[in-house]
Amino acid sequence: MVLRVRIVKGEEARFVPHLGFMRAFERAMRRAEIPVAYSEGYHPLPKFSFASALGVGITSEAEYADIQLDPDGPEIGVEEAFDALGAKMPPGLAVVAACSYWGKSSLASRVEYASYRTSACPGLNDAASVFAGLCTSPGMVTTKSGQKEVDIRKLVRKISVADGGALEFVCACGGRAHLRPENLLAHLSSIAGANLNAVRLRIHRTGLFFVENGELVSPMACKCKDLVIAKGWKPGELS
Amino acid sequence: MVDKQVLYEEILPQVSQPVRYVGNELNSVRRGASEAEASILLAFPDVYEVGMSYIGFKILYEIVNSSPRFVAERAFAPWPDMEAQMRLYNLPLYGLETYSSASSFDVIGFTLQYELTYTNVLAMLDLAGVPLRAEVRTENDPIVIAGGPCGSNPEPIAAFFDLVVVGDGEEVIVEIMSEVARKKREGAERADIVNSLSEISGVYCPRHKNPVRRRVVADLDEAEFPRKFVVPFLEAVHDRVALEVMRGCTRGCRFCQAGMIYRPVRERGLDNLCSLAEDLVRSTGYDEISLLSLSSADYTQVTELSRRLVEEHAKRGVTVSLPSLRVDSFSLELARELEKFRRTGLTFAPEAGTQRMRDVINKGVTEEDLMSAARDAFESGWDLVKLYFMIGLPHETDEDLDGIADLCRRVLELGRSAARKRGKAGRVRVNVSVSSFVPKPHTPFQWYGQNSREELARKQDYLRERMRMRGLSVSFHDVEASFLEAAFARGGRELAPAIERAMALGCRFDGWSDQFRADLWRQAFEEVGVDPSKWANASYDFDQRLPWDHIDMGVSKDFLRREAERAAKAELTPDCRTGACTGCGACADGARTRLAGGAWR
Repeated sequence: MVLRVRIVKGEEARFVPHLGFMRAFERAMRRAEIPVAYSEGYHPLPKFSFASALGVGITSEAEYADIQLDPDGPEIGVEEAFDALGAKMPPGLAVVAACSYWGKSSLASRVEYASYRTSACPGLNDAASVFAGLCTSPGMVTTKSGQKEVDIRKLVRKISVADGGALEFVCACGGRAHLRPENLLAHLSSIAGANLNAVRLRIHRTGLFFVENGELVSPMACKCKDLVIAKGWKPGELS
Repeated sequence: MVDKQVLYEEILPQVSQPVRYVGNELNSVRRGASEAEASILLAFPDVYEVGMSYIGFKILYEIVNSSPRFVAERAFAPWPDMEAQMRLYNLPLYGLETYSSASSFDVIGFTLQYELTYTNVLAMLDLAGVPLRAEVRTENDPIVIAGGPCGSNPEPIAAFFDLVVVGDGEEVIVEIMSEVARKKREGAERADIVNSLSEISGVYCPRHKNPVRRRVVADLDEAEFPRKFVVPFLEAVHDRVALEVMRGCTRGCRFCQAGMIYRPVRERGLDNLCSLAEDLVRSTGYDEISLLSLSSADYTQVTELSRRLVEEHAKRGVTVSLPSLRVDSFSLELARELEKFRRTGLTFAPEAGTQRMRDVINKGVTEEDLMSAARDAFESGWDLVKLYFMIGLPHETDEDLDGIADLCRRVLELGRSAARKRGKAGRVRVNVSVSSFVPKPHTPFQWYGQNSREELARKQDYLRERMRMRGLSVSFHDVEASFLEAAFARGGRELAPAIERAMALGCRFDGWSDQFRADLWRQAFEEVGVDPSKWANASYDFDQRLPWDHIDMGVSKDFLRREAERAAKAELTPDCRTGACTGCGACADGARTRLAGGAWR
C-alpha cells in the first residue's frame, strides 16, 4: 500500500530547505515506526517521495508525500499511520490529511499546477490585473541551469486579487513546466515599476493539483481511498 | 528578546542558510530563562552545522535542561553575511530557543575546541554587547566562562574570560549553575559571584591565576548522557546518533593532546550503551549510530556491542558505524561487518612514513600492519583508501618524508594489484592528507617548537614533488593556519591584543581555509607589536616555566618529560591497558582505568 500524506510547512519551518524537510520527514517516519519499504542494494533507502520542492522562505499547506509501505511489515491502517506520524512530526511541520493511494504513477509525475497566496501587496494589484488580461508576457525566470527568458503568462493559469489586496494565483508546477512564485512576483513588480525587495512579500502555497479532463484536482482525489483529515483543519479555498 | 519580526522579515530572507538562525528543532528545550533560577547560553564559536556536531555541547545542554531549576539555550557563530545583517539592524546575539538576547543570560559558556575559533569568540561577545575584556565588565554583564580542550592552556584568551572550566564538564556545570542560583537569591554582586565560582574545584579564574586541577568524571556510567539530541533541520557535519562508548585513550601517541588530557580510559557499560542507543534512535529518528571515542575499536567489548546494536536496529534501517579505525585486521573485520552498506572508503592514520619516526611518536603501528590492512581493504572491494600523515614532527629528517612518499606509493600499487584481479585496477585511489605538526600543551612534545613556516613549505614541496602519480592525490594543510594554531596553543597572555586586533580587522572563521586571512593576521601582529613565532616556533627548555604550568591536566610533567626523552631515542611506551603502568599520574581523584565487563561493577 502507498500512504499519501498532506503536510503543512508552517511559519517556524519556512526557512528549512527542501533537503532538510525531506530528512526531517524521514526521521519522523522512523520515530513513528511507520513500516516503510526499503530499496534493495548496498545502501537501502526508505521508499518515499515528494510531489514538488518548495522554495526556502515559503510556507505551505499542501506538501504531499507518498510512502511505500513494506508488504512484509506489520499491517497498518491509514488512520493509525496518520495518528502515529502526526504525533512525531517536528515543530513547524504537521500532517493534516492522509489516504491510501492505489494508482501506479508517482506524485511528481502527475503534479501540474500549484496555487499560492501572498501577503497583501496593494502595489502589485494593478500589475496583476494588467497581467491577467495579457495573452503573452515574456520575462526572466530562474531554472536549474540559470536565468532564462520565457513567456510567463503561459505558465499562469489564473491570477486574481483577493480581499485586502493579497494575490492569489495558480501557476505551472512540476517537470513539464514550472514557474517559481517569486519569479512571477518579480515579473509583476517590473510591470508595476516597483522594487520587489522593498515589498517583502510573504508567499504561501495553498494547493498542488493534477489535471483530469482539463480540470484541477487534488492529489487526494484520484485513485485514493480511506481519506483522513485532521480535526478542525480546513484546506485553503483554492484546493 | 530580539525583534522576531525584523529577524524573520528583514534579515533571514537575505542570508545564506537562514535555518541556521531559527532554532525550533525537534527536542530543543524552549522553556525560557525567566522562570529559571539560573540560565546559561551555551555558545559555540563556529557555524551551526559544526557546533551541532559536538557531543560535549549536547551533553551540557541536556544536563542543564534536565533540571527544572536551570535553563540552557544555544548560540553559534553567525556566518559573515549574517553578522553583517545583525550589525546593520542592531540585532544582538541571541539564544536559538527563545530569541532572548545573549546579554540577558546569567552565564555565557563558550566551548573552545580549536584555537582558530578565537576571533569568533570575540565577535560573538561583541555582538552580544558584552565588553571583550573581563576586567571592564560590570554588574549587568553575564559571566563569561570557557570550557573544552583549549582550556588546558587558556592564557592567550584569559583576558576575555571571567572563568575557565578545566577538564570534564558534566559535574562542574551543575555546581556552577547551583552556585549562581544561590548567589542570585542572596542578591550578591557580580564580582562576588565570580569569586565564589572560582572556588569550585576545576574552575580557573584568570584574574587570580590560581593553580587549578582538572575535573575528571570517575565513572562514565554514572555520568549523564543525553537520551535525546536536538535534531537539526540543516544537516550537521556529524548528523547521527553519537554514542560515546568511552573517554580517554592510553595508546600514548606523543603528539596527541586528547590522548593525554582525557586519561584514564573510562568505558561505558554495554547494557547502558544499548539502552542509550535505543532511546536515542527512538527520540531522534536518525538512521545511523556511530560509536564515538578517541579509538572506538579499542572499546573492550566492541564486537559484542556492534553485534547487539546491529541486531536491534538493522531492521529499522539504522546502520552502525565506527569513525576511528585502527590499522589492523581486527578493525577491518569489524568495519566489514558494520559498513556493509556504506562503501565510501577506509581511512588509516599511520601519521609517519618510517618505522623510526612512528616509534618516535609512539604510534605502535608497523608497516606490515598497514600493508596487510590495506590489502584486506582492497581485497574486500574498497577502491578508495585515505591515509593521514603529519610532517614537521620532532626529530624528523627528509628520509622520513621519503618514507611517506614510498609508503603511499606501495599502498597504491597494492591496491592496483588487488583490484586487477577484479579487472578494476584503474579505479583504485589513494587520498593522502598531510597536516603540519602543531605542538600542544600537556603532551610530550609540548617543549618542541613548530618547524618554521619556510621549513614546512619546503617539506610540502618536497613531498608534492615525490608523490605525483595517477591515482594518488595529496592535500596539505595551510601552513599559515597551522602556525597560528601553534602560537595560540603554546602562547601566553601577550597574544590577547593580537586576537582583539585581528577580530577588529575582520578575521573570522580562521579554521575555514576559504575564510582565513593570513594577511590580516600579519597586520594585526605587526600593529600590536607581538611576534607569534616566539610562541609557535621557539623550543622551550625542560626546566623553563611554561605558560600553562599552573593548569594540571592529570598527567604529570615528569611523565611527559620521560616520554619526550624516550621519543628522542625512538623508544616505545606500551599502552597501560595491556602493559605496565606508565606512571602518567592520571589515575587520581577517584578516576582509574575502567573497562566494560572487566573491573566493572
